[in-house]
Amino acid sequence: MRVRRLTAACAALGLVALAGCSSEAGNDATAPDATVPVEEEVQFDEGTTMAELAEAGAITVGTKFDQPGFGLVSPDGVPEGFDVEIAKIIAAKLGIAPEDIEWVETISANREPFLQQGQVDMVAATYTINDDRKELIDFAGPYYVAGQDIMVAAGNPLGVEGEESLADIRVCSVNGSTPAGYVQENYPDADLTLFDEYSLCAEALKNDQVDAVTTDNVILTSFVAQDPEAFELVDNPFTEEPYGIGIPKGDDDFRTFINDVLEESFEDGSWAAAWDATAGAITGAPAPEPPAVDRY
Amino acid sequence: MQALLDNLDRLWSGFLTTLGMSVAAAVIATILGTILAAFRVSPLPPLRALGATYVQLVRNTPLTAVFFIVIFGLPAVDVTFQNFFIAAIVALSVYTAAFVCEVVRSGINSVSTGQAEAARAIGLTFGQSLRDVVLPQAFRSVVPPLGNLWIALVKNSAIAGGGFAVADIAQLAPSLARDNPAQVLAIFGGIALAYMVITVPSGIAVGVIERRTAILR
Amino acid sequence: MSSDQATRTKQPLVALAGVNKWFGDLQVLKDINLDIANGEVIVVIGPSGSGKSTLCRCINRLEGVQQGEIRLDGVLLPEEGKALARLRSEVGMVFQSFNLFAHKTILENVTLGPIKVRKVRKAEAEQRGRLLLERVGIAEQADKFPAQLSGGQQQRAAIARALAMEPKVLLFDEPTSALDPEMINEVLDVMTSLAREGMTMVVVTHEMGFARKAADRVVFMDHGKIVEEATPETFFTNPRSDRAKDFLSKILTH
Repeated sequence: MRVRRLTAACAALGLVALAGCSSEAGNDATAPDATVPVEEEVQFDEGTTMAELAEAGAITVGTKFDQPGFGLVSPDGVPEGFDVEIAKIIAAKLGIAPEDIEWVETISANREPFLQQGQVDMVAATYTINDDRKELIDFAGPYYVAGQDIMVAAGNPLGVEGEESLADIRVCSVNGSTPAGYVQENYPDADLTLFDEYSLCAEALKNDQVDAVTTDNVILTSFVAQDPEAFELVDNPFTEEPYGIGIPKGDDDFRTFINDVLEESFEDGSWAAAWDATAGAITGAPAPEPPAVDRY
Repeated sequence: MQALLDNLDRLWSGFLTTLGMSVAAAVIATILGTILAAFRVSPLPPLRALGATYVQLVRNTPLTAVFFIVIFGLPAVDVTFQNFFIAAIVALSVYTAAFVCEVVRSGINSVSTGQAEAARAIGLTFGQSLRDVVLPQAFRSVVPPLGNLWIALVKNSAIAGGGFAVADIAQLAPSLARDNPAQVLAIFGGIALAYMVITVPSGIAVGVIERRTAILR
Repeated sequence: MSSDQATRTKQPLVALAGVNKWFGDLQVLKDINLDIANGEVIVVIGPSGSGKSTLCRCINRLEGVQQGEIRLDGVLLPEEGKALARLRSEVGMVFQSFNLFAHKTILENVTLGPIKVRKVRKAEAEQRGRLLLERVGIAEQADKFPAQLSGGQQQRAAIARALAMEPKVLLFDEPTSALDPEMINEVLDVMTSLAREGMTMVVVTHEMGFARKAADRVVFMDHGKIVEEATPETFFTNPRSDRAKDFLSKILTH
């Protein structure tokens, strides 16, 4: 939490260029076994991002450090999760081994600046593709489609059925997140409580300080899986949140390359294996159908 | 900047929340901290121990953890607050009081022992001599460090909005940034400016108080 | 002594019996027995480190003692607390370094005790305060702060502050030692007139002139002990102990 704030503060003050703000995490990756072999020989056109990265033999990836199943930093400082595995698959196709990936924590508010200023080469951080963001950066993918859902106390004492209930209950989400924005936009009079982490929302739900938590179903599912005695998923998603890989604006070659890699991973089973090892392992749910890549 | 201008109403309400939370916590923390300082110099050993334990416990706990304990820990022992705003004031007050205590105590120590002896010699009780003789002089010498604590408190209050469910200035930033990704720097800069609207005049006020209350020795 | 004084001295106003006090390993008061009658002026003299200031400070329990009894008007000095505060209000004290309340005006210094301890109304306390300041000769300084006054004026204000409590006994702990020579007399004059008016006083001082002029009894201390007690006349002309002779020879042969 502390690290997160530091990063946010650095971004806020425009000090991102200072080395002190970049995370030193992740040179001895011990995360789940890479399911994809690292390419030995890679060939890219001169001048492309792929050629530069392959030449450097290293890549900097922004991801979440606090999102169970997608990007959650382990005690040794290396993040683990589905986003992390997808990034490893992409890196492998560039000939970069997992231990040569530098992981930088990105939070919702600093993903675009980090990409624009070159702090990171790409972002895989439960990053919902939308048009506002496309004006600043580009997205490859999606590689997963989440949906906003509602988690309530076990037994659903208030009988919450779907998004219509949001207007009448005390609902909790994370400040600055897309799901929180959805509530603010569509239910402006809702009693919305905003923490900076979903785990705090879950705690508040346990303490009866709020009636529900709303965010992407994948996140809620992991909370329910961890504590089925306390929580229950309404399981009636009401949005589509396509997760994409964020890259600097205008790098069409890189975007096409990542889209190709993603599609390949959908087909060769490495995508499903990544899911099973991470988010799937938490929720127990089998890998869903992979989404269709959007080559806009 | 446009994002901030478009949301002036939210900025204003967040500003009032930050101001209200900070002022309330500053008042409570200053009173509580002074009482704790009185404990720490009290002739009664149990009070001294209580004051010292409080300071050691709270001063060495990160503010985020204090927030966590107040908001999620206390409900576990059936201590609940009306809302997160009140809980935030409690957390900020409890935390800042430990620092106020030490500042005031150093002020008390800077008052010559003769002052307290003279007060006791005319028959004032310990409490009276503290209140009427020692503390008024102690406060004059600690106005600048107390001012620092108040200003730090205003900025620390951002933890309430940034992390703990209070709709203050700090809480506004991430949602504005989400809706206006192109203006992130301007938004955070504007938020920083909003804090300065509180802290800079506070600093000036502290300077005025310092000059007004200066005494000859 | 008149018969009136004789009846008053039946029960001593201040009585120290078998008092012993240590600072750590150092014994600073050794088996002190001293009775002070109502209206009596005692001057305590002795070389520095003889324990005379400590003796003075023990009488209103600014210093506690480990052994022995100290009684004021027959009442044993209580432990720290409200009762002690009440008792202290009846024992005035004047310090070497004045210790006027730095943040209060001279008048406020004088009225604080009556208002807070005696619960006298402010207007009444101020009226009496001004009279006291007039009596010590600094009426025109009433609204100044201590730091604006000379040392002699400050000490006279401190005496007025002590008098405002209408104490049964006044303790003076080297009241002129911190003063420039030209200011010593203005303070001693106030003390002498108090002595004449019948105030019970315990004065720790090096001012032998004052001792001769105003003291009923001189107490000579050395190494924490009372070595000799006598009238000033006897003490200065015919000291019995060698240590007193030695001390007097050092300070009187200029």
